[in-house]
Amino acid sequence: MEGLFFNVNNGYIEGIVRGYRNGLLTGANYTNMTQCETIDDLKLQLGPAYGDFLSSLPPNPSTSSIAAKTTDKLVAEFRYVRANAVGSLAKFMDYLTYGYMIDNVALLITGTLHERDTRELLERCHPLGWFETMPVLCVATNIEELYNSVLIETPLAPYFKGSLSHQDLDELNIEIVRNTLYKNYLEDFYQFVNSHPDMVGTPTAEVMSEMLEFEADRRAINITLNSFGTELSKADRNKLYPSFGMLYPEGTLMLSRADDFEGVRLAVEGVQDYKTFFEAAGLGGGAGGPGNMAGGSGTEGKTLEDMFYQKEMEISKGAFTRQFTYAIVYAWVKLREQEIRNITWIAECIAQNQKDRINNYISVF
Amino acid sequence: MSGAADREAVFPTRQSLGLMKAKLKGAETGHSLLKRKSEALTKRFREITRRIDEAKRKMGRVMQIASLSLAEVTYAVGGNIGFQIQESARSARFRIRAKQENVSGVLLPTFESYLTEGNNDFAMTGLGKGGQQVQRCRETYARAVEALVELASLQTAFVILDEVIKVVNRRVNAIEHVIIPRTENTIKYINSELDELDREEFYRLKKVANKKQQDVAAQDAEIKRLKLEQEARGKKQAVADEPETSAGPAELLEAEGDEDVIF
Amino acid sequence: MSSHADNKDRQFLAVIGDEDSVTGLLLAGIGHVTPPPDSQKNFLVVDSKTDTATIEEAFQRFTTERKDIGIVLINQHIADRIRHRVDTYTAAFPALLEIPSKDHPYDPEKDSVLRRVRRLFGE
Repeated sequence: MEGLFFNVNNGYIEGIVRGYRNGLLTGANYTNMTQCETIDDLKLQLGPAYGDFLSSLPPNPSTSSIAAKTTDKLVAEFRYVRANAVGSLAKFMDYLTYGYMIDNVALLITGTLHERDTRELLERCHPLGWFETMPVLCVATNIEELYNSVLIETPLAPYFKGSLSHQDLDELNIEIVRNTLYKNYLEDFYQFVNSHPDMVGTPTAEVMSEMLEFEADRRAINITLNSFGTELSKADRNKLYPSFGMLYPEGTLMLSRADDFEGVRLAVEGVQDYKTFFEAAGLGGGAGGPGNMAGGSGTEGKTLEDMFYQKEMEISKGAFTRQFTYAIVYAWVKLREQEIRNITWIAECIAQNQKDRINNYISVF
Repeated sequence: MSGAADREAVFPTRQSLGLMKAKLKGAETGHSLLKRKSEALTKRFREITRRIDEAKRKMGRVMQIASLSLAEVTYAVGGNIGFQIQESARSARFRIRAKQENVSGVLLPTFESYLTEGNNDFAMTGLGKGGQQVQRCRETYARAVEALVELASLQTAFVILDEVIKVVNRRVNAIEHVIIPRTENTIKYINSELDELDREEFYRLKKVANKKQQDVAAQDAEIKRLKLEQEARGKKQAVADEPETSAGPAELLEAEGDEDVIF
Repeated sequence: MSSHADNKDRQFLAVIGDEDSVTGLLLAGIGHVTPPPDSQKNFLVVDSKTDTATIEEAFQRFTTERKDIGIVLINQHIADRIRHRVDTYTAAFPALLEIPSKDHPYDPEKDSVLRRVRRLFGE
């Protein structure tokens, strides 16, 4: 039933995105890439997928330029899809970009706080997080101005409202600002996919809820783990946890009380997936992680982070088994981001001559 | 001798001969000491250069590992954290202090790294994502910087030792090739001058002695003649003249000044 | 040679490098910004757009003007851009160290100190 009219507006987009998904690198591609001796070989291997974008690079390009070019491709495709999207899908895709906007805004706030020339910073911003009023941010010279006249105009304004004042921007660590925004963003996005009439009760709501819940849990766990040994108090930490997800509310409550890795492990015990992650990672020494000076090759050095990425990719892959859903756009972007990270990682390993860890990429196809 | 051109401007006296001899002795002791110092330093120097060579190569490797761990951060955070790091740097956690080590009287500085407690500029970095990688990367880089600090110590020692060895070698060479030959020449010169004087003196004394003998002979003849005359006149006067004639020959070798008295 | 007394104050490292090198070294905790008003950083990020004069100026500042820096780290490919300055720099303090960068592997042939080593041993 829900698929009856889906194709009227969104059939083309779905087709395109499924096409893009088939263009993703497969395990065989990655195996070939890991055999490369030089960056030029790698470039050649990437030819079919990224030829147009990589062709302008000089011989033996730096890894960062490869990363930039591969991102360019994602951006170009995303913009094409966005331009063709209508109605609630367009709105959905806008939501997708807010995550990047938060990073950009955090960057600009940092720049403004340190009285940097913010024009320079625009180049560093993620292109997916570009919004029309962003260049205006550069006009602001102090944080109060930035807050009162500029940030209010951005799509992120609702996330600032109520939780951050302009004094907070000045005083709080930028990481706290960023994570507060992100929490608000995730909650809003979750709310959006579960309340919009076009999406309620459709596979979109179902798949997106799963993805966002996972993202929320991941952030909550990460924030907890990373806050050990910092001045972030437990109460402040609690404010950064998104108020949904599989861990919410009991898990997050326990997380907010956790003092060490063990505490976190207990908090996530209720969720089978995370439990296995922690068991696997716990052996490696937990928060400290296996030392990477030794190369980490001996013990299949999977970190918690790696396992989260792996899980994210699997959920994203699963999204493509559903029909008539916006979630595939989200899944596709995530898969492509992982692909870019994989390529960068492999390129880095080749450039640094550290082949023993080259297989740390995550491939699900 | 050709050495006449290269000697010190001194009067050829016995006093300056003594001075010169002392100087030569000093120069020789100094030379052997400096030579030994230079050898000790050179030994150290060679050791350091070898270690620098090794350390520089090792550094290449260490920095690669560090770069890779930074790549890991980029991978986990999913973006570039460079800007944020640059902006949040406030106070150095990783500092160095210079210590000094004494090698054959040369103070060689060595750097020692230490971590200050309590200021952590980047504790929050990667809070939501990749924080563990960031922390690990910090440790890796801290180790890399330690290696760099060690290398810097070696290198500073290298620069200073290079300089000191040059100075010491210059001194050794100066003593060996300039001061010692010159002092030796001076001593030779003084000796030859003194010998010359001795010979002149000896010849003059000989001449004087000859002359005196002739005079004495003439006087003796005169005295005899007078004696004979006096004996003829009376015996009393001959007793008064006798001490004067016997004193003459005895004093001849002692001083020239007395000669006038005789004439 | 500089007198040894003032070397006690040299407690910081300085770095001139590309973004990745600087980020890494700052992560290690060497970054220091002196208190305002004349807040001075002990690091300089160089990219392809940075002009040579800026690098030279930073080099000058780290090596001669500031007395609290004990070691200056510089990426080798950046040292190449001001090679004449680096090669003529012979003071012991602060120690100047050429380090490799991510995109430019280390080349011992170019290092000013290693070249001196080689010359001394006639290799």
